[in-house]
Amino acid sequence: MCVGLSAKVVSIKEDTAVIDAGGAQREISAGVLDDLEPGDYVMVHAGVAIAKITESDEDEAADVMGDIL
Amino acid sequence: MSENTVTLAHGAGGKQTSELIDKVFKAHFQNPEFTADDAAVLPRPQGRIAMTTDGFIVSPWKFNGGNIGKLSICGTVNDLSCMGAKPLYMTCAFVIEEGFPLESLEEIAAAMEKTAAEVGVRIVAGDTKVAGKGQVDKVFITTTGVGEIQEGADTSGKYARPGDAVIVTGDVGRHGCTILIARDEYGIGSDVDTDCAPLWGAVESMLGVTKDIHVIRDATRGGVGTVLYEIAEQSGVGVALDSTAIPVDDRVRGVCGMLGLEPLYLACEGRLVVVAPQDKAEAIVAELRRGKYTSNAAVIGRITEENKGRVILETEIGTQTILPQPKGELLPRIC
Amino acid sequence: MNEQMKRAREIITGYKGRPLRIMEVCGTHTHEIFRLGIRKLVPEGIDIISGPGCPVCVTAVGFIDEACWLALEKGCTVCTFGDLIKVPGTEQSLAGARSKGAKIRPVYSPLDAVELAKENPEEQVVFLAVGFETTTPSACLAVKKAAELGLENFSLLTANKTMPNAYNALVGSADAFIYPGHVNAITGNSACIKLCEEKGVSGVVAGFTASELMTALAVCIKLLGEGRPFFRNCYPRVVKDEGNPAAIKLMDEVMEPCDSEWRGLGVIPMSGMKLRDRYAGFDSRIKYSMPEITGRPNPACRCGDVLQGKCKPSDCKVFGKVCTPLHPIGACMVSDEGACSAYYQYSGLV
Repeated sequence: MCVGLSAKVVSIKEDTAVIDAGGAQREISAGVLDDLEPGDYVMVHAGVAIAKITESDEDEAADVMGDIL
Repeated sequence: MSENTVTLAHGAGGKQTSELIDKVFKAHFQNPEFTADDAAVLPRPQGRIAMTTDGFIVSPWKFNGGNIGKLSICGTVNDLSCMGAKPLYMTCAFVIEEGFPLESLEEIAAAMEKTAAEVGVRIVAGDTKVAGKGQVDKVFITTTGVGEIQEGADTSGKYARPGDAVIVTGDVGRHGCTILIARDEYGIGSDVDTDCAPLWGAVESMLGVTKDIHVIRDATRGGVGTVLYEIAEQSGVGVALDSTAIPVDDRVRGVCGMLGLEPLYLACEGRLVVVAPQDKAEAIVAELRRGKYTSNAAVIGRITEENKGRVILETEIGTQTILPQPKGELLPRIC
Repeated sequence: MNEQMKRAREIITGYKGRPLRIMEVCGTHTHEIFRLGIRKLVPEGIDIISGPGCPVCVTAVGFIDEACWLALEKGCTVCTFGDLIKVPGTEQSLAGARSKGAKIRPVYSPLDAVELAKENPEEQVVFLAVGFETTTPSACLAVKKAAELGLENFSLLTANKTMPNAYNALVGSADAFIYPGHVNAITGNSACIKLCEEKGVSGVVAGFTASELMTALAVCIKLLGEGRPFFRNCYPRVVKDEGNPAAIKLMDEVMEPCDSEWRGLGVIPMSGMKLRDRYAGFDSRIKYSMPEITGRPNPACRCGDVLQGKCKPSDCKVFGKVCTPLHPIGACMVSDEGACSAYYQYSGLV
């Protein structure tokens, strides 16, 4: 379920953020994330930023695997 | 108001019809063969003739990088080009909605003139009908074209052979993406522009490299993915694509990411899928990359004996999977 | 392929232990696993099965019938996520209703439906609220927005679902679960940790890129080999243990749990969400005094068994013959995420 898109926050005004993914921009709701700032990366689903995200998936893979193996 | 818009009287065949034709169409399409009679009379070309027709109803009629006029020339020019035919003559039939601004019609005609001139194709006859408000969406255009097949050129969707290389002449899905943005149904902003372009020049330059080209196909509705399935079906072969080699513009990737769409199924209006012997592929791509509309041409895969009728994707993790068959209406996928 | 990916690949392809059943719960995982050809990569002994995490697939037939009723009988403009449009109802899909003149609009976000209602006060706008915890906050935000704007022409037809009770219903159907990363981004990991600690159910939370999925699968296989129940978050760049507290609070403010029918699984108690009384004015069923509508699925369709991992799509009699992506009989053939659609499109590879 739940196709997510990682995108960069371009601007923010109250509960509405403009996000950018490869030059495609859209207004989305920032209603369930506090303290978003331009430049942050977020996971977007159905027009809502659901999570603030950090590292790239490659760094993550290294961490997760390093943990276990 | 009516002075600046198309009215039903413009389509009634009387004085106002001739005025419209003189003012808008003749002004832009003037050439020695443009007929004032019931049909254009043309010299017989030397080679075999290719002939095609296509209707254009794109909405909105204007979008980033083009309009329905440019599209209506490119569509027919590219269909002829795919057969190795140099486009010679075209006709165009307009169905215009009552109330359509004359200025916009002028803009469409100007785009047609410019594109036709670039290719060297002549518009020799036309027709204008005006439909009542709501009967058509702004303006519909049908173009018909005749071209002369170049000596030695022999292309068909049936001629793909195992071992051949599959080439695409540029990044995929930009036109479809541009229209999606222009319709503004999903609130997405992007400066993505159409790939709409006349490709006779590209075909001519490829034929200059080698006449041994098996398939040339215009990837319009349904995109490159649909064309590849058609080729696989018609030639009774499989197609294996290297998913990492398919050129996709970042802007297209962004829009597709938002809506869960596959760029391979978005329409192009200036992209060809070319199938040619492996040993000619590199030279063809090198030549294409020098061209105005084909600078990011690439080899994206090969024709295979196995997996007949299917299109296989070699993935970024080194596995093989099947490109899903196109399913008609493109709907954004959120869940 | 980078080093991490190579290592993950080696772990997956090199597995030689006892037979394993791993269930991916999320439909987007199903889709990506097929898109990446991962099923062809895993060795004989590992069976990857698809669970009930495609919101389109688990949506009951009656829900489509309700939406068609609103569109055709009440003349509502029905806004929906795109992939619900072709899902068969008892008599027809939304696409079928559209061809009879119903106004059906695909939208990107429920908030767009609110915008549509605001701009077109003469239209009665209904949004089809499906989805799990990932999607439900967007529907809640839409209702709050509509309330703020004082809109009287916007409502939700709810079929929102929650995962924890579905997990309970699925215990025993697999050796480990691949948990849906974007659900956990909202809910956090506590339900999964609890399953592990109390019922010995193993699982990993996975993301959606090739690297994220391969990593999660490798970790899962490796830990299954060790034999102890485990839970691992393999998607920490998005999923935090506590989830998204603001989203959880929002859902609790706007909606409350209810029993919910899952296609194939039947009614699972307290596995759905509906609007709280104070937002009842935005509930389409109440607003339009909707009669009880009971859907009748096609009896030949085995989507229900497929969703529980009890049979493979190819075991269903209509699969691939009568039921194809162009003419789907069951919901699992409709969505690109659906197990049947994925099997149909990707199978038979030489």
